[in-house]
Amino acid sequence: MAPVLVAQSSIEGRVTLPKSMSLPVVNKRYEIVSKAGIVSTNPPLAVVYLEGAFPRAMPAPVAQMCQKDLAFVPMLLAVQAGTKVEFPNQDDTYHNIFSYSTPKRFDLGRYRADERPVPYEVFDVAGLVTLRCDIHEHMRGLILVVDTPYFVVTEADGRFRLNGLPPGRYKVKAWLNSKTTLEQPVDLQTGSVTHVDFQ
Amino acid sequence: MMLVVSAVTAGAIYFAERSAGLTVAHELERRFQAELDALHNMQEIRQAVLVERCRTLVRKPRLHAALEDGALDLLYPNAEDELRDIMADAQELPAAQTRYALQALFYRFLNRYGAVITPPNMDRVGSLLGEDAARLTLPTVPEQMQFGYLVRQSEPTNNTVSEVIAMPIFSSETGEVIAAIVLGFKPINFGHGDLEIKSGLWLDGKLWLAPLSSSAQMAVSEAVEKALSNSAPERPFEIALDHTPCFLFFKRLNPGSLFPPAYEVCIYPLTELAARQKTLRLQIGGVGLLFLVGGFIASNFVSIHLSRPVEKLEHDSAENLEQRKRVEAVLDLTSEELQRSIRFSADASHQLKTPVTVLRAGLEELLVDEKLKPEVREEISALVYQTVKLTSIIEDLLLLSRVDAGHLQIEFGPVNLVQLIEGWLDDLGALPDPFSLSIETDLPATLMVDGEKRYTSLIVQNLLENARKYNQPKGRIRITARVDNVGRVFLVIGNTGHSIPLVAQGHIFERFHRGVVGENVPGHGLGLNLARELAHLHHGELRLVGSTGGWTEFEVTFLAAKPQTVSGFV
Repeated sequence: MAPVLVAQSSIEGRVTLPKSMSLPVVNKRYEIVSKAGIVSTNPPLAVVYLEGAFPRAMPAPVAQMCQKDLAFVPMLLAVQAGTKVEFPNQDDTYHNIFSYSTPKRFDLGRYRADERPVPYEVFDVAGLVTLRCDIHEHMRGLILVVDTPYFVVTEADGRFRLNGLPPGRYKVKAWLNSKTTLEQPVDLQTGSVTHVDFQ
Repeated sequence: MMLVVSAVTAGAIYFAERSAGLTVAHELERRFQAELDALHNMQEIRQAVLVERCRTLVRKPRLHAALEDGALDLLYPNAEDELRDIMADAQELPAAQTRYALQALFYRFLNRYGAVITPPNMDRVGSLLGEDAARLTLPTVPEQMQFGYLVRQSEPTNNTVSEVIAMPIFSSETGEVIAAIVLGFKPINFGHGDLEIKSGLWLDGKLWLAPLSSSAQMAVSEAVEKALSNSAPERPFEIALDHTPCFLFFKRLNPGSLFPPAYEVCIYPLTELAARQKTLRLQIGGVGLLFLVGGFIASNFVSIHLSRPVEKLEHDSAENLEQRKRVEAVLDLTSEELQRSIRFSADASHQLKTPVTVLRAGLEELLVDEKLKPEVREEISALVYQTVKLTSIIEDLLLLSRVDAGHLQIEFGPVNLVQLIEGWLDDLGALPDPFSLSIETDLPATLMVDGEKRYTSLIVQNLLENARKYNQPKGRIRITARVDNVGRVFLVIGNTGHSIPLVAQGHIFERFHRGVVGENVPGHGLGLNLARELAHLHHGELRLVGSTGGWTEFEVTFLAAKPQTVSGFV
């Protein structure tokens, strides 16, 4: 919890998200799509994070990636490297979550909702992890592992706000898809709010 | 007079000989064609099994993850389990199972550029030397199944030629081809009965026909090369091999394939033909001599007995005819051989049916066990479902091969078309209907067509099933039937499914054609082809009327049944 002890600054702004690949539908669920080898969410979302040499949080943070209604919830999860991610099954059927992505290969095997402890994995290496279910071929989820405690998933319109940042010179990055990450330098002053837009 | 008789006799001998020679050549060609057809039928059966396996394979999340998430090192280890039933184990397999060459000798994956993805080890993928594996590479990853042949240069003596099939693997997300799998099989060998036909393969500018002497090999190579470079038609031609005249046939085995062109080359020595011709010549000559002598005697008495040579002529013609008949009987025998090879694919389907039935019974027995874990039960149920699907493919293929072989005879009788449709609608009412379809009909009370009920019903069922399967939720099916004034019955079935893309419309009646890739609709792409073949046998036609703006309509025609005359008490 070291960051909260220093005087905090914030960054807010907006990432211009790519156009949605399909027509807007009321209550449209987010899904993971892969086109020409580029993996992203649809409608698009971005992850904004502050890059710098920050210590890892102790104890390791815990996050959850649920399986509900035969889909991953959330579809896109951002975590700090070293985070323990639990994969609770909230469906009445079996799931078998696995990933072959380079930053983290794992296979949780088949399990039901009552499986205890809730199956989990620790994500130590930064990068993008594609989640799949061996039983439900359509299920797709993404975990973006970043080497910083300061990150946020944007709103659907691209707006974001990062709070509790330590002052100093950094790079702020916006991950848009598996092939595109934008970056901008920032100089954070104590107690200030810096505005950053990614076009 | 004598001159006329001699000229007529010589002419008759010449034409009889020529006609007999041509008939034998024609028969050989037909036989060659029939064997190739049987080979293609076998390929279709194998294809059906593979298409089904590959469809299952491409849905496997682990293979998708390996191909799409950059984990190629896990591709072969994962595929190993999936392909266990297709890969042959040379030691363990009894000969019966390799008989129809459904077990693969090797397999490799091609990446999205058509290059071979090297397996981590050769234990379970079938060993291939590097240079042989490299020749499986295609200029691009195929969007359709490709046939080819591979000569394994690493083994210069036995089993040198393998037949290879490349199947595209589609992304379930984008429908793009992301990879392909290439399987290698032992080529199917055909016996050529009592004839001395030698057959081999022409591939990469080289002939693979072992039993020929090297000089004969060279002569055949030159002849084939010349014929191919001149784009000569694939017709038999004569060639002298080691001073023996022979017929040479060749035919492309994999037309349109991305693999190098391969030709089946057959050599048939004309010694047998020459022997037949010699006998024929003697017989015809003998008859001719009699005819000449008769003519000579007749010419001496022509003024008095003008009618005699005419009678003699008749008699000789009758004898001549007798000889011809004997030749034709020999040819009939060879025709039987031909039929036998066509039946081959039908037999193969039968052979496939039994193991599938045994498999299914075994699986169902396993399900009876109450102590089964739910996940195991789920898996076994899925397997049972697969065997049901396979059985239906095999049955369709069996029927199709009977149609191909001309063995399916329709026993025509009056069939009530409206009753068939209503029967199907009743069955539909009993099924769970996730689509909530609404059905409109415009049918007369009865409509009798000329057909055989089980086959007429197959046509109607296939069309109605498609209208249901390819529909959309809360969609509509419209069934109308009418009869025109020349006694043709038109049955039109329309549905609100997705329109069939224009490019696909020309192909929907082809075997193994399926709608959009990755579509989650059960079926195996034989239904429409079968329905059309059956419609033809009913002297009718099946066609796509149109498929635009979310409305797809098929029309099948039948002949109206002739009005039944009241028989009995007169």
